[in-house]
Amino acid sequence: MLSSAQCSPSGPSEAAAAAATNATEAAGSAAKSQQAMWSIEFEKVSKSFGAHRVLVDVDLHVRPGEKVTLIGPSGSGKTTVLRLAMTLAKPTSGDIRVFGESIIFDSAGKPLSNSQEARIRRRCGMVFQQFNLFPHLTVLQNLILAPTTVLRQSREQAEKSALEYLRMVDLEDKVHAYPAQLSGGQQQRIAIARALILKPEILLLDEITSALDPELAGEVLDVVRGVAHELKVTLLIVTHEMRFAREVSDRIVVFDAGRIIEQGSPEKIFTNPESERTRAFLQSVLNH
Amino acid sequence: MTWDWSYVLQILPELMVGVCYTVLVTLASSAIALTGGLLLAILESVSTKFGRAFVRFWLELARGVPALVLLYFAFYVLPEVGVTLPAMPIGIGVLGIVYAAYSSEVYRGSLITIPAELRDACVALNLSPYVTWQRVLVPLMIKRSAPALLNYVLGLFRHTAVLFAIGIPVLMGEAMVAADQSFRYLEPFTLAGVIYLGMNLPFLYLLSRFKVKYA
Repeated sequence: MLSSAQCSPSGPSEAAAAAATNATEAAGSAAKSQQAMWSIEFEKVSKSFGAHRVLVDVDLHVRPGEKVTLIGPSGSGKTTVLRLAMTLAKPTSGDIRVFGESIIFDSAGKPLSNSQEARIRRRCGMVFQQFNLFPHLTVLQNLILAPTTVLRQSREQAEKSALEYLRMVDLEDKVHAYPAQLSGGQQQRIAIARALILKPEILLLDEITSALDPELAGEVLDVVRGVAHELKVTLLIVTHEMRFAREVSDRIVVFDAGRIIEQGSPEKIFTNPESERTRAFLQSVLNH
Repeated sequence: MTWDWSYVLQILPELMVGVCYTVLVTLASSAIALTGGLLLAILESVSTKFGRAFVRFWLELARGVPALVLLYFAFYVLPEVGVTLPAMPIGIGVLGIVYAAYSSEVYRGSLITIPAELRDACVALNLSPYVTWQRVLVPLMIKRSAPALLNYVLGLFRHTAVLFAIGIPVLMGEAMVAADQSFRYLEPFTLAGVIYLGMNLPFLYLLSRFKVKYA
């Protein structure tokens, strides 16, 4: 299994090359982005589905490299925050910025074009609760699809990189397996490798162990611990694994009924929460 | 009514010509049906409301009007407006279009069953809409549709019999000609039935393989 020391899939040169590619492609925004104080900003973001308000005036600012975990009862809007950041959904109101660039509006205040949206989205990666590997593709094909089509890497280059990431999640022997031939934990580790191979600056993890039994969840959390320690990536995590959240996070944000009710260091949230609702939620989860 | 083996041997070569035409028409029409159906399903999925209504109108037309009516229309009515085509392209085209409409519904059904989460994964990986369709959705649609599509190819193969109505010498047409010339109906139509049944067998085998693999 992965140790923190192993969790460095690419050498410095490759990392630098990837960074250079990103910088070239985002030439217009690079200077602005490098100076950006926040990797993700939610400004008064609300999201409704019909009459149902899922998020209400959410303000959330995440620093580059920060590990932030969103906790709260089911249906409190945590996953919606990640889906909005990944542009899988649009907010009803408010603005969201990734490294200073709005993912909703252009500089003239008009909705972003698909290509503008894609360029900003390239800085984010996401891992889902249900893994979402492509079932008709082998592990290797799942990993190289985006590098060869999005980053336009050669097949050889993409395969080399894929093998490094497979080694990182300790699944290099499964390179030609299909997702259906893998356990849930193995599939989720592949999904993490597939997200990381694009070298995102922000990684969104949406309840990545919820579909797994405790043993398999442990394998996956070990990989995430490695990522959190070794890669300078901003992590936005939704999880019900409180021990993991406490261990890996720089900050915990507590959601309830679509609002942020409290946030702070893991120490503060888990030992001395201000909100009675946070206290009740933690009690119910930790005593479960 | 007695079975005449010498007459069977006499008409068998003509029926074999009919078999060749049947296979040719089945292959060509299936190619049109399977690719056309896929394109129609994609078009319907990505179109605006107006585009979807347009596609649906043509689908319902192709599925709602008997193939024989469409064949006669293309063969007898189109020349009156200056469009004259040989029988073979008309036969292949009409069966291809009719079965494209049926295939499209199969593809559409399989597209609906592809979990929305896979599309989310495509967005999260920043795949372009073209790559999403080409590398993810279309292969999954084809894989999930294959057993049902094979059934339609089987139906199309049997449906080629109607093409004798516009003079294409498919198996049924050759049997008809032989029967009309000799006024013996037992051998030509029995042989035609047996040959159609025998040619079904490879399809049935393929279908059973699919069921074993994917059911």
